[in-house]
Order: sequence, then structure tokens, then C-alpha cells
Amino acid sequence: MTSISRKGILVLALLTVLALLAAPAVAQDMEESEFVFAHGGPIRTLDAPVTWFISTHWLANLLYDCLIWRTVDGSGYVGQAAESWENVDATTWRFNLRPGITFHNGEALDAAAVKWNIDRVRTREDFMVQPQWLDVAEVIVVDDVTVDIKTVAPTPYFEFIVSFNGCELLPPGYIEEVGEEQFARAPVGSGPYVLSEFSESDRYVFTAWDDYWGGRPDIDRVIYQVIPEQSAQVAALLAGQVDMVANVPSAEVPGLEMAEGIVLTSETAAVMQHLYLRVETETGNMDSTYPDYQPATLDANVRHAISAALDRDLLAEVHGSALPRTGRICPHFPEGGGDSFNSAEGVAAAYNPDRARELLAEAGYADGGPTVYLDSPTVGRAGSEKEVAEVVSVMLEEVGFNVELTVLDPSAYGEQISSGGNNRDIMMVSLGCSVPLVPLFYQCNWIQANYNVCNEDFDAVAQAILTEMDPAARLELWGQWWEYWFDTMQTVTLFESQAIIAYSDEFDFTPRKDGWYTFRENLKLAGDDM
Amino acid sequence: MQQFIATRIVQGIITLIIVSFLAFFLVRLKGDPVDITAPPTFNEDQKQRLRELWGFDKPLAEQYVIFITRAVTGDFGIAYLSKRPAMELVIERLGATWLLAGVASLIGLSVALPLGIISSLNRNSFFDLGSTMLASIGTAMPSFWLGLMMIIFFSVRLRLLPAFGALDPSAIIMPSLTMGVGMAAYLSRLTRSAMLEVLNEDYVRTAYSKGLITRTVVFRHAMKNALIPIMTVFGLQLGWLLGGSVVVESVFSWPGLGRLMIDSIGVRDNTVVQAALLFFSLSFITINIIIDILYAVIDPRIRFD
Repeated sequence: MTSISRKGILVLALLTVLALLAAPAVAQDMEESEFVFAHGGPIRTLDAPVTWFISTHWLANLLYDCLIWRTVDGSGYVGQAAESWENVDATTWRFNLRPGITFHNGEALDAAAVKWNIDRVRTREDFMVQPQWLDVAEVIVVDDVTVDIKTVAPTPYFEFIVSFNGCELLPPGYIEEVGEEQFARAPVGSGPYVLSEFSESDRYVFTAWDDYWGGRPDIDRVIYQVIPEQSAQVAALLAGQVDMVANVPSAEVPGLEMAEGIVLTSETAAVMQHLYLRVETETGNMDSTYPDYQPATLDANVRHAISAALDRDLLAEVHGSALPRTGRICPHFPEGGGDSFNSAEGVAAAYNPDRARELLAEAGYADGGPTVYLDSPTVGRAGSEKEVAEVVSVMLEEVGFNVELTVLDPSAYGEQISSGGNNRDIMMVSLGCSVPLVPLFYQCNWIQANYNVCNEDFDAVAQAILTEMDPAARLELWGQWWEYWFDTMQTVTLFESQAIIAYSDEFDFTPRKDGWYTFRENLKLAGDDM
Repeated sequence: MQQFIATRIVQGIITLIIVSFLAFFLVRLKGDPVDITAPPTFNEDQKQRLRELWGFDKPLAEQYVIFITRAVTGDFGIAYLSKRPAMELVIERLGATWLLAGVASLIGLSVALPLGIISSLNRNSFFDLGSTMLASIGTAMPSFWLGLMMIIFFSVRLRLLPAFGALDPSAIIMPSLTMGVGMAAYLSRLTRSAMLEVLNEDYVRTAYSKGLITRTVVFRHAMKNALIPIMTVFGLQLGWLLGGSVVVESVFSWPGLGRLMIDSIGVRDNTVVQAALLFFSLSFITINIIIDILYAVIDPRIRFD
């Protein structure tokens, strides 16, 4: 009897320990609001200008202010450290800082600090964002709260540059005192949140800063929790342990629709899926990889046939969360061509298999062929690349092409793209569709060696766009750009990816048009004014 | 004994040198890290300057000498992407990986030994058949799938356990169970067969004939002899748990070394990959030296000289 009692006590003790262990995972102070975002990781250094990875800059935007920042709806810019700004002349931009603002450690965020930051980012060759800042010729401190930035040439899209990766303002005094290595361990900014704790590429806890110039943020704590597996992210949301999951796989949507307290929405991921077609063999190292190979896509008729053979509606359906497109720029930009390139009618008109066959016949392939090599990653920025590539192959074969499809692991594919010129005919590429970036992608001094889309005329128009300060004249140049775009058909756009976002109904959330998951004015507790 | 330990340590050092060689050259087989790390806005000149800054422009042999000279002092360089010392990142994550592997091993052992012993004592019984079936399921079940099912059941349905991270002590339950199941399945079969072999020995029959009860025969006589192969495999499995925790760490977002290594491989952060690989190897070698020493403790007949 005594022995049984002892055993009973032991079992009871064990059960008690297990119950304590299994108690609610995270004790929460009910008075403090907390928002947890499931981040797919990895997250790089929060010495933000060092890294180019956008998903790290999502976090940086809570910790730091930039001079100005892109609006949620993508239509313009708002001041952060700068209260106002103006284009003084073709190559000078003046920024008037908010008087008296400081970094979290009390250090002044003045014109000298802005100069230190921009000089740092434009001169450090080990910084991944440095190339985009090479347009800056000089930064002049006018007075404590006024700074002029001179550009090497007229730069109409300078506001985009100055609000993009590397725009984060860091405290010069603190960095010089502790060094960059220590700064990476304990970064300090001037944004609405202080980084209160973090473990590298795992969990980052941001706490609202009382003294922020824009007022204390509505949410007390914003946490970025790295959860690499998408299924595990969704499970954590359903378990109430995270509050938002972005890029929900379409297979998970029905389950989330049935769950209580979950809001589902979708917004552009600001990424488009394209087929890059080889239009010349001079650049890159294709000749050494495939000596004497003559890509069929050198013939414009073949390129147009590829475009006409593709049913973009079906491809968007295969992707699961995408809108069919024929243009190159996200349609919410005025330069994006609007409905003419992206409407259902426009997209439907582009699909014409009979025309594709005619074009192939004109190119000398009436009896079948040509053979084209299509390379794709298993998955990339747009998602479902492999599946889309397989359907593209079928569509091309339907009109007479012989397709040799190669699907590679993303890192091997990245290697192939970046190491230069290994693609023979067609490669799947997902790229951003923001206006100021797109002309860059087609300049001959950029990475055309890898994508093989260099075209001198195209380059000239792109260069003119990037230096034309008059908005009306610039739109006209865009018209020329689009003509080249459709004439040369060196890039065939398939669709624009849409991110499916699931979040707790305890929050009001407006997704950003730039595909960034950074939370400032676009996130509130449900019921509060946005 | 001391000579044996010294020999094993020297062998371990030689193994580490070989691993360092492989770690250094294999990560380079994956291609130029600058090509992957640099953004598409970098042209070839800018990439070349980055190679010079990071020392990739030097001959490979020279790079290796620099790497190994620094590595012996614990300096693996600064991680390209986090801008913190690679060693610091590895040490930060090492504890979580060891803890997970340790708890998983405890679970594995505490399930496997009783199952294996009872099965061997009741050969071909329902219990034996049942444990064989469980072992087959445990071995065949992918840890990735098991982990997700556990999250759905314990976190989503019952809301009992955290679905991710290592914030709460209870967070270790699911990942360690996921890892422990496979180990338990394998070790239970091994324990059963090792015990069956020993139970047929003359000295066990003698022990029984002396009138000793089964518990005494099993734990005092049979188990000690059966433990040698079990410990050998346990050592290897523990090493596998340290290295093979990558999948489980990803599913449960456990902040361990495996996840750090996968992240770093993805972005060619060689400094971290090399440091992590060497730490995995060091752990593996250390565990196996300890196991070798334990042989002598368990079975005094084993002499190393």
C-alpha cells in the first residue's frame, strides 16, 4: 500500500510538472499590445545599409528613420526624418529635417548625421546597397536642419532611391564610439521602435519608443519571429501564437477561411514572373559554355511566337495567386501602362496560338521546331516557378516548339543566372516591378551579361527616362520604351504575383503596395483609427 | 588508458584537420560566394572589389592557410551578412542544439531500453510484435511530417504547446519527441537483438540456475554485456541528432546550429558554414571518445593497452 502511494505521488508529481510545462507558452501582460509577424527568414544584420535583402529592411524600417519614405499605397512619399524636401535644381535635392529629433540614445539626428550616413553608404564598397547610391555626387550640410544632396546627373526618381535600401539613418557618434561589430549586436536608430532584444535570425522584439517625433506607436511590441516552414507559420497563426503570415500557400487558404478570427486578404507582391529570352550572344559567357550554339530566340518572330503561345490566365491559375500581365511595371504606377497592358482584354488578346504557329512558319519552322532550352528554379521569388515552367513547356510544344526544360534547385539556379550567360534560350526570372528599377534592368552596363537582354536602343531610352526631370516628357519617353518593349519582345511577362496575407482580426491592417511587411501607420489595434 | 585517450585525441585532431580541409574546399565547390551574396545591381568590377575585400582573390591554398591559422585561435572571420564574428554566432546557437539533442537522446534511451529489454524477455509475444510494429513506424515516419502533425494536434487543436521557438521550457517537448522517436525505434530493435544474444549465453543460464530473479539477471549480468553495441550506436545516433536536427529545427523554428548552417549555406556565408561544420565534427568526435572511454567503465575486461 505504502509502495502504491509512493508511486501515486511520483505520478502526480510528474503530471504536475508536465502540466506546468504545458501551461500557456508565453505569459502575456494583458495591458500591453503585441503583434507577432511570422518571418520566413533568414534575417541579416540590422546595420541596415550593409545588406541588400529586402526582408531585413522590413525590420530596419521600425528601428530607423529614413529621410523620406514610400507611402503605403505606393503613390508617393512621406517625410520621416525630413519634414519637407524640394528639388532645388536639376541635380540638387534639399531636405529640411525635423528640428530637435534624436536617436534612441539621445544623439542628435541633424544634417551632419545625415551627411555621415549617406557618405558612408555611397563610399563603402563592401555594402551591398552601395551601387544604388552612386548617383549621389555630394552631400552638403547647409545648417543643422538642412541638407543638400547633389546628384551626378538629373535624377527624377531620386525620391525612390533616397527611400530605398540603405536609406536608414544610423547614429554616427554611437557607431564611432562602439565600432561596427558592437553596433551589429546592439543597433540604435531613431524610428518608432527600439530593438529591445533579439537572437540572430530568429526573434526580434521591437518596443514602442515613447519619444518618437510622430508620437508613441499604437502597438506596444512588434515581434518578427523567424519560422522558415510555411506550414508551420500557418499552424502558428491558427494556434494564436503569431498574428500575421504573409505569402500563405494557396493550398492553406480553405483551412484559414474556415478558422475564426482570421482575416484573409491579398495584395501585389510587387514581383512579376517573366521569361527572359536571349536576343544576342555577345555578352555573357554563353559562347564558352555552349560553343557555336545559335539560340532560336535570336529571331524576333520566334520570340513573338513564344509570347503568343502563352495562355497567361491559365499560368496565373497554375501559380495559385497571381494576376495575368503583359507589361513590365506594376500597374499601380502611372508609367505602368494601366489597362492597355494589364486588363483582361489586353491579356486575352496576347494569347493567340494560331498566330504563334504563323510566326514560327515565317521564321522557317513550318514543319516543326525549333528546339528551345527553358531553365527554371524549383521555386523563386514569385513562387511555383517549376509548375509554371512545366505548363509553359506544354503550351510552347502545343504550337510546335520542342522544349528542353531544366529545373534547378534555387541556389544552383541563382548561380547559373549570376555567373553569367549560361542560359541558352529562355529562363524564368522573377523581378521587382517598381518604376525606377525597371529601366535599370535593361541598361547595357547592368547585368545584361547574365540575362542577355542588352539592346543599345532600349538602353538609350532607359537612360533618357532616368535623367528626364519633366514628368510629361518622361511619360512620353515611357511610351517609346513600351514600343521597344513590345517590338523586341526580349522579355515575356507572365503574371504579377499576389501575396495572400492572413492575420488576426484583433488588428486593422493595410498591406503595402511595395510588398514590404513593415508596420507603422498601416497597422493598428482593431477599432482604433488607422 | 591515458595512452589510449591521448591516441584518440590525436586521431580526433587529425580528423578535424581533414574536416577543416573538406569544409573549406567543399563550400567553395558550391561556387563563388560573391556571385550569390552580391545583389543584381553589382557589376563585375564591383564584385571583383568585394572578392578582394573578402580575400577571395587570393590562391585557394593561401586562403586555406589563412583560414586554418585563424581557426585554431577560434577566429573564423566575420560573417558576411550579420557582420558579427562567425564563432560568436555558432556559440550562440550551440547550446540550443545540444539541449535539443540531449533531451531527444534521453527520450530515445528511456523508451528504447525498456522496450528492447521487455521484448527480448518475451520474444514473439504480443508485446514483442507490438514494439516491432512501433519501431517500424518510428523508423519510417519522416520527422518533418511527424513534427507538423504534432504542431497541428498539440498547438492548433489543443493549444497546449508552443508551435515554434525556444521561449518557453515546454517548447522543447515537441521537437525533442520528434527527434527522439526515430532514435527510440532504432535503439529498441538493437537492444532487443543485443539482449537476445546475451540471454543465450552460459553465464546467464548459470545466473538463473543460481536462483537469481529475472531483474537481477537482466540488470546485473545481461545488460552490462549488451550495452557495448548499444552505446556504440547511441554515440553515432547522438552525433546524427546534432547534425541531423536541421529539419526539426526548421519545422519548430528552434534556434539551433542546424538552422544557422542552412541559412548560411543558402547565402554562401562561408565563415559561418565552416565554423558550424567544425563544431559539429568536434562534438561528434568528443562524444565518440567519451563512449570509447565508457566501454572500459562498463566492461572492465576491456583494456586499451
